[in-house]
Amino acid sequence: MTGVVSARPTETLEPEPERASASGALPPGIDLKKLAERKVVPLRHPLRWIVTAVVLVLLLNFVQTLFTNPSWEWAKVGQWFFSPAILKGLQLTLVATGISAVVSFLGGIVVALGRISPNPVLSTVSWLYIWLFRSVPLILVLIFLFNLGNLYPTIGVGIPFGPQWEVPTFTVLSSLTLGVIGLSLSEIAYSAEIVRAGILAVDQGQHEAAKALGIPQRRQFTRIVLPQALRSIVPAYVNQIIGLLKASSLLFYVSLLDLFGVVQNLGSTYPTDIIPLLVVATIWYLILTSAISIVQYYIERFYARGSVRELPPTPFQRVRRTLAGVRSGERETVA
Amino acid sequence: MSIAIEIHNATKSYGDKTVLKGVDLTVEAGTVTVILGPSGSGKSTLLRAINHLEQLDEGYVALNGELIGVRVQGDRLKERREKDILRQRAKIGFVFQNFNLFSHLTVLDNVSEAPVSQGAKLKEAREHARGLLTRVGLADKESAYPRQLSGGQQQRVAIARALALEPEVILFDEPTSALDPELVGEVLQVIRGLAGLGKTLIVVTHEIGFAREVADQVVFVDGGVIVEQGSPADVLSNPRHQRTRDFLDKVLA
Amino acid sequence: MTRPTRLRVLGALATAAALVAGLAACASDASASGETDAAASGTVTVGAFSNGAATETEIEVSQVDEIRDTLPKEVLDSGEFTIGVGALPAGFPPLAYTGDDNETLTGAEPDLGRLVAAVFGLKPVVKNSTWDNLFVGIDTGATDAGFSNITDTEKRKEKYDFASYRGDNLAFQVLASNDWEFDGDYENLDGLTVATASGTNQEKILLEWKSKLEAEGKTLNVVYFPDANSITLALNSGQIDAQFNPNPGIAYQNTVSKDGANPTRTAGTFSGAGATLDGLIAATVKKDSGLAQPIADAINYLIENGQYDQWLAAYDLQNEAVETSLVNPPGLPLDNS
Repeated sequence: MTGVVSARPTETLEPEPERASASGALPPGIDLKKLAERKVVPLRHPLRWIVTAVVLVLLLNFVQTLFTNPSWEWAKVGQWFFSPAILKGLQLTLVATGISAVVSFLGGIVVALGRISPNPVLSTVSWLYIWLFRSVPLILVLIFLFNLGNLYPTIGVGIPFGPQWEVPTFTVLSSLTLGVIGLSLSEIAYSAEIVRAGILAVDQGQHEAAKALGIPQRRQFTRIVLPQALRSIVPAYVNQIIGLLKASSLLFYVSLLDLFGVVQNLGSTYPTDIIPLLVVATIWYLILTSAISIVQYYIERFYARGSVRELPPTPFQRVRRTLAGVRSGERETVA
Repeated sequence: MSIAIEIHNATKSYGDKTVLKGVDLTVEAGTVTVILGPSGSGKSTLLRAINHLEQLDEGYVALNGELIGVRVQGDRLKERREKDILRQRAKIGFVFQNFNLFSHLTVLDNVSEAPVSQGAKLKEAREHARGLLTRVGLADKESAYPRQLSGGQQQRVAIARALALEPEVILFDEPTSALDPELVGEVLQVIRGLAGLGKTLIVVTHEIGFAREVADQVVFVDGGVIVEQGSPADVLSNPRHQRTRDFLDKVLA
Repeated sequence: MTRPTRLRVLGALATAAALVAGLAACASDASASGETDAAASGTVTVGAFSNGAATETEIEVSQVDEIRDTLPKEVLDSGEFTIGVGALPAGFPPLAYTGDDNETLTGAEPDLGRLVAAVFGLKPVVKNSTWDNLFVGIDTGATDAGFSNITDTEKRKEKYDFASYRGDNLAFQVLASNDWEFDGDYENLDGLTVATASGTNQEKILLEWKSKLEAEGKTLNVVYFPDANSITLALNSGQIDAQFNPNPGIAYQNTVSKDGANPTRTAGTFSGAGATLDGLIAATVKKDSGLAQPIADAINYLIENGQYDQWLAAYDLQNEAVETSLVNPPGLPLDNS
């Protein structure tokens, strides 16, 4: 219908006199047909422009101080940025975060399945676990863990009142293991809730269809439910990983020096470099978080298959399209 | 003719509400049975009980003489292990009202998923799936995702998916209710084609015209019991019960 | 897309897992604790990698069997002397901190521990942890003795034994641009904001002055920060006027900040031994572990044979020297801590 209108505007848009006066806005002597051939002028937003200008001025001011304020000591930032001690701390941050992220995700799936299990013991235990580790701050978990040797001089498993197998706590658990366990214990509680929400978000019909097709139970979960749950799990979980990355700065409580720990430690040896060292840590955290965000973007895109009719363009595609649009827009104005 | 499905004393309640009150029904192999009934009559529950998506409180369903979802233990019927039930369900195709296609899988993967999950070779399962898609007229859509298809196309994929395991019986739960009117025809056409091939079909639907044309047996369910059953000519043209007449009047109005 | 995408996801996961495992292998030495020193007896190097806080000095020490024989059997059998230091996350130079190789745990405190280990003929192992975990380490037996600027207090004696080795001198630090002077008179603190470390000898002294000033209708604002770095930043930014803390650390900071953006200076010192308080720094061991006496004997041996003076001289801490090491000398009284 619209095709007809635009192809033959002079005939279909011709206003009847009554209708024009009924709208009340049309002054006499205006040829509406003529106006209809030109582009409609969009509404202007002067206030928006003022706010934009103010924001830009403030931003530029801040950026300027980054260069002019000597306190930042960029030369020293440069010196420390790739120093072996910093890189070692960075490595520890990456390793602890990486292992914990994988362990917590798998653990989160297990606890989430326990939580939605019809078995009352499993679901209660899972609920208690989540309740406990979401309630206790990570810092306390780490302190308790580090002092495990104090609370439990030996650790072991055994049949209650039956045979036991035990080893001394200190010899089996390295600091890194303790750190990863501490981070993971906390993190599993959060990721379990994320995974559970993701599983619940999968349409009940998908479970039914999988059942009706006789797909084996394990495959129902790994092939049908989990991939669809991941669509909502991934953004929330990446958020969680970024939190984890920063939470790893508490690892000095188990005598591990991560990126931030190294910075603190160096700061005491070099009290004049405290600010540049903090800047170094800030930049590294920014880099790590940016890298994670990029990975997140592409994982999300991957799991969006099928949920939208057409995948949204990547930032690169968008830039290219915008540029193309600007160019064609310019041509239009020129013409 | 041999009996494909035998339902005896199918009884089911949700809390205080009894939805099936001892239903008996037999379906002969190679026939089309249409189940009619007002909403809430228990017809969908009856259909879902056939492949054990609903567990009966009392009674049994047998497919070619094999009890579905339960086994005899002593003097009781006992529910089978989930693993065995899943294996039995593979013999019974099910087409849902809302299609329930796996939205993250392509059309081809949707159709080949069940055979692959049950040990078929990927390559063969895909070949077979392509054949089924051709049969439902969607050979060119194998790489599409379900959301990229119209409702009618999705339901045809769902039928191809149900056929992939070469089931002995196919159940349809209001297969056209979620479709825009102009898309109903293409789906009924596919089902009609299956009937022509001699498949055993059980269809819950409100499409009276379809029932009249294709069904060998029409069953009218209301209040958890079978009110009337017989040939389409008997039940649809000369209903004996007032309830059946009222229902038909409403549906055909 | 007709290929199975699941396989690719699994592949990516496997790659990620392999990567993480690889990184873990590289990082297995990243732990900050359990540093082991090579030399057991003969020569001990003190003041290594000190970033200008000390003169690196090689000190001759030999094993003394009469003292070694008094050690508890478990310690002898282990062949190691585990020295606990509470320098995480931030160290406190020149007493205990990460050296300018950004790796070695150096400082006057672990160095004395190394000297004592040499007298015992044991291999020194320095364990770094947070201040709280230092004490837990002693409690659990993971650490033999804490050498970490720990002040001898009566309260701590309920759980620990002490072998004293150093006096406790305190100092006020201000920005070099500030011309305030303490002049040995607490009245000069009127109206100032001063940072100190909570739970310490210097805090007690400062709080005593505060109550005296308040009795006279004057004010002294005492504030606390989580670590030395935060105090330095607060001083630089003008949030506090001064800090009151052990002299060695302040002297170190003054030296290294000399050419920086915010140079600092000492605006007066005060003896930790104070008027009523007796402040001594002591090696700290678990109560009744039988280690306090051998450590005191070892330190006295080092005092008599000149190594103790060499050690203090290396760190320029001669004014904190004690005449002899005592086991459980009177500490800061209970009501003061």
